[in-house]
Amino acid sequence: MNILELKNIGKTFGGLSAVYDLSFSVGDHEILGLIGPNGAGKSTTLDMIDGSLRVSGGRVLFSGEDITHRPAYQRAKRGIGRVFQRDVLFQSFSVAENVMLGLHLQARLGLREAILPFSRNARRKTAALREKAFALLKQVSLETKADQLAANLPHGSQRALSIAIALGVDSMLLLLDEPLTGMTAEETGAMLDIIYALREQRGITVIVVEHNIRAVMEICDRVVVLDYGRKIAEGGPKDVIQDPIVVEAYLGADQYDV
Amino acid sequence: MNRVSVSDYAIIGLTICGAYLLAPILNDEYWLSVLIVVLINILLTSSLRLIYLLDEISLGHVGFSLLGAYSSALFMLRLNMPFWGALIAGGLFSAVAASLLGYPFLKLKGIYFSILTFMTAEIFRLVTYNWTSLTGGQFGLSNVPGPAPLNLPVLGVVSFDSMHNYYFLTLTVLIVSLLIIYSLEHSHVSMKWRAIRDADKLAASVGVNVIGYKIVNFAIASFFAGIAGALFAHYQGALSVDPTSRFGPMMSLFLVVYMVVGGKDHLWGPIIGTAALDLFSEIARPLSEYRYMLVGSFAIITILSLPEGLVGIRRLLSHK
Repeated sequence: MNILELKNIGKTFGGLSAVYDLSFSVGDHEILGLIGPNGAGKSTTLDMIDGSLRVSGGRVLFSGEDITHRPAYQRAKRGIGRVFQRDVLFQSFSVAENVMLGLHLQARLGLREAILPFSRNARRKTAALREKAFALLKQVSLETKADQLAANLPHGSQRALSIAIALGVDSMLLLLDEPLTGMTAEETGAMLDIIYALREQRGITVIVVEHNIRAVMEICDRVVVLDYGRKIAEGGPKDVIQDPIVVEAYLGADQYDV
Repeated sequence: MNRVSVSDYAIIGLTICGAYLLAPILNDEYWLSVLIVVLINILLTSSLRLIYLLDEISLGHVGFSLLGAYSSALFMLRLNMPFWGALIAGGLFSAVAASLLGYPFLKLKGIYFSILTFMTAEIFRLVTYNWTSLTGGQFGLSNVPGPAPLNLPVLGVVSFDSMHNYYFLTLTVLIVSLLIIYSLEHSHVSMKWRAIRDADKLAASVGVNVIGYKIVNFAIASFFAGIAGALFAHYQGALSVDPTSRFGPMMSLFLVVYMVVGGKDHLWGPIIGTAALDLFSEIARPLSEYRYMLVGSFAIITILSLPEGLVGIRRLLSHK
């Protein structure tokens, strides 16, 4: 069963094709790597999956439903979570509040609870939301930092927090945009453990855009390679990495030793 | 979210009592008329700050105040609505206009939003200026009725012809409005607004209907701007929209200055900023055109020495 299918999607920005006639599908519980050189159209592809950008052509199917023309917030409701490359969290909120915002859809606030902060119902729901947020923070080992300002967290923890925010959506499909950028070896290891656990414990399907090829090899079941907006290869990480076209386009001859 | 301490409640209580006692203590028609306009401006600036929660600055807030003022006046003049109905209807009229314009407006951000709101307010003003059959055009509307006498339980029959009583009425409407704004600002809705301000794409990715929440914000802010306009209309009894009137472009700029000088990150900011600058400007009135230079200098000095605005004084004092 495919959770996501992209059918001939494309995106043009004023005549320039960022993504061209791209098709691939993602199976349930799969971890798919999306790789390619800078400017290959990886983030644009994620944008078209989560609805941040509308496609210029083609169709996007999620769990069999055509979501091509759905705005981002409705796709979130259907279970697509996103971790951005930049703007990974809400800077002016505390760590716990960040996750509470991620839980927004699960909060099911009535109008009165949403606008009357001091009513008993609103307080109770806020407390319940906070408890749920704590449970998610535990999964990324941030529960002790719940009341810190999110902007003050170290880089690795900010990334971990961004995943906890996306989990609040109760995602079936999680899109990770370069989750390992700028991380120490230790932070990278911790992040890979988190991504694994998402699939093993929660059955979440993951699409990860990443430049760290070693990490991609380690965690991905399958890899799609983009270059200049086109798909140039698709398959198991070991096969793809040895594909001469991929080696030439992306890795370069000297990096062949991965 | 901030906790409210006991001393905060004490300050709020004392300010409210002080504001009510001001009328009998002053007992001066001229200063009361000044204060009524200050109260109305506080409502305008406070509602402008709601939009600032989205990190957007509207330069056309008086446009929505104009809609409230004229619609409320016309509801009473032409449709014989009672005062309170017309007041609320004026606010609602402005809110509906804002929500209809909200979708295209709020797709824009930053300077583009500011320019668009600025132009829109001018268009509202020019249409009002030229639509003579409805609005009286350049002569404006006159004989706008005030509120009918109220029969209150303890006070007996209260007539609003006197300056004192209209001051009390304006103050009460202002306090109720500020309480609503205060509770909105501590609600889940406001959390979404600030989340959109921090990272709008991320907010959408967790399921927040970004444009929807922005339109709601804009409509609520415009509702209170409309109420402020309506309060002015029924107080003044006459309305006009020439460029130097309170519906002209300068007023929109002043509202932003009031907000920034008072402190844009705090609920008290618009209250303190508006009161300080309006009163300062009133005291400087004998200097005729030079007074704006003085008011401007006052604003600049405040911003340079207190980057948080006048509300920053309290923090400075408590850290001593």
